Amino acid sequence: MSMLFINSIIGGVFAGGLCGAVGALCSRLRLMTMAFSMAHAALAGSALALALGADMTSLAMLFAIMTAIMLGPLADYLGTSLDLISMTLFSLYNALTFIFIISTPGPALMTESIGQLLWGSILAIRPTYIAYLLTASIIIIAFLATFWGKISSILFDIRLAEAEGVNVKTYKYAILLIAGATITLALRITGGFLVFSLLYVPAAASLQLKASMKGIIALSWIIGSASASIGLAMSFLYDLPAGSCITIAALILMAMASAYSKLEASLAPGRW
Amino acid sequence: MEENLGCYAIELEDVSTYYYGEKRPAIRDITLRIPARVLVLIVGPNGAGKTTLLETILGLLRPRSGRVITLGYEIPRMASKARALSSYLPQDFMKSPAEPFTAREVVAMGLASNTPTGRLLEGNLRRVDHALKMLGMLEYADRPFGKLSGGQQQKVLLARAIAREPKLLLLDEPFSAIDQETRSYITSEIFPRLLENGCTILLVSHELNHSYMDADIVIRMVDGRIERVITRDVHAIH
Repeated sequence: MSMLFINSIIGGVFAGGLCGAVGALCSRLRLMTMAFSMAHAALAGSALALALGADMTSLAMLFAIMTAIMLGPLADYLGTSLDLISMTLFSLYNALTFIFIISTPGPALMTESIGQLLWGSILAIRPTYIAYLLTASIIIIAFLATFWGKISSILFDIRLAEAEGVNVKTYKYAILLIAGATITLALRITGGFLVFSLLYVPAAASLQLKASMKGIIALSWIIGSASASIGLAMSFLYDLPAGSCITIAALILMAMASAYSKLEASLAPGRW
Repeated sequence: MEENLGCYAIELEDVSTYYYGEKRPAIRDITLRIPARVLVLIVGPNGAGKTTLLETILGLLRPRSGRVITLGYEIPRMASKARALSSYLPQDFMKSPAEPFTAREVVAMGLASNTPTGRLLEGNLRRVDHALKMLGMLEYADRPFGKLSGGQQQKVLLARAIAREPKLLLLDEPFSAIDQETRSYITSEIFPRLLENGCTILLVSHELNHSYMDADIVIRMVDGRIERVITRDVHAIH
């Protein structure tokens, strides 16, 4: 078995798990459109890096984090909703992405880098990348474990948590920054247009299984890991785009979770 | 925890609060001083500004003009300190059946808000169960919050508010889903205990018939203003 294949599976386990857990948090906090715009910010950052010949991860991370920081104040300044601002920025980032891609020196659309940017590639999974994923996983688990009491209060009811003195803004920004970092890392294997499959499909699948909140986050992690690993293995074996394979794997797992949930409900006492 | 209680638990001076984009204030020119350790009933029709008043007191809504001091802390500058000493039961409390947190977890969150990281000790967990027991909800402690009835959800949130041992308890229509027997128990057994422990209670209701309650101050609001204040053996300034 080649080193590339083993790296793919390890990378998939971490990247998918991270995305699943972050997606569960973002969907619960209704930050989905914000995460959407951050993902496309990361895509635009990567495209700019490609055009400038700079490091893709650094610029993608910078764009995603800058977006997370400025979304709230921008919405306040313009007096409009966060969702609307997020979608406005999403359009801007898409426009910039295409301009940066076209501005890339040489026959841009034919390069492996562009392919990696748009639909992901297992070639992105190198030992350094796995080290980044491992570090991000440790940070997220430590953050959730340390502050779970306050985070759970925010997840239950933001307004009530705020009324009880929890610094909701700080925790929300921390979660958005984590989401930005996670999306930037996942982007390399899923590509910019399919990163949401790893963010939200595992969360949607775990919600079918009716677990506790901790259970939903853990299940999203597991389903995300499984989706990414299976998808990357398919990509490796059949030479298909990594992002597409991950999306299909995630959707199959979601269909299985849904079928299990329906079966469980039909077998529950009191049903006839 | 640091306390900064003066003679008054709440002081408002010429306070007007507007909702975003609205030209008309939701509450206007409110001047009110409420002493500590009293039960205050705020009544008035829908849209009178009762909820806005509570949320302005906690700094959840920022007043456009005037001055608010809650438990000795200036709002909104020091709102987090006042909120840490307060409990709030909102009017719109109902959660969907898919809500994954259990009743016990929901009450525990109230205590987690007041610890540096949110981690609870054994003593905190005993307080959680004690509060649930007081409201007759201990047997439902491990059930998902969303699977409880409206009245049960309201009782769990009331248990959460009480478990925090607040110096200020703000209750917005707290009995809207609770049966008469439990209402009487709360007002005759739980409220006096909280008042004895130094808590000030503000209870908002649109109902005018509150024969079951022995309020020290009754404030009637209409159209964003205080129309009338009735006091009993206490000195509230309007």
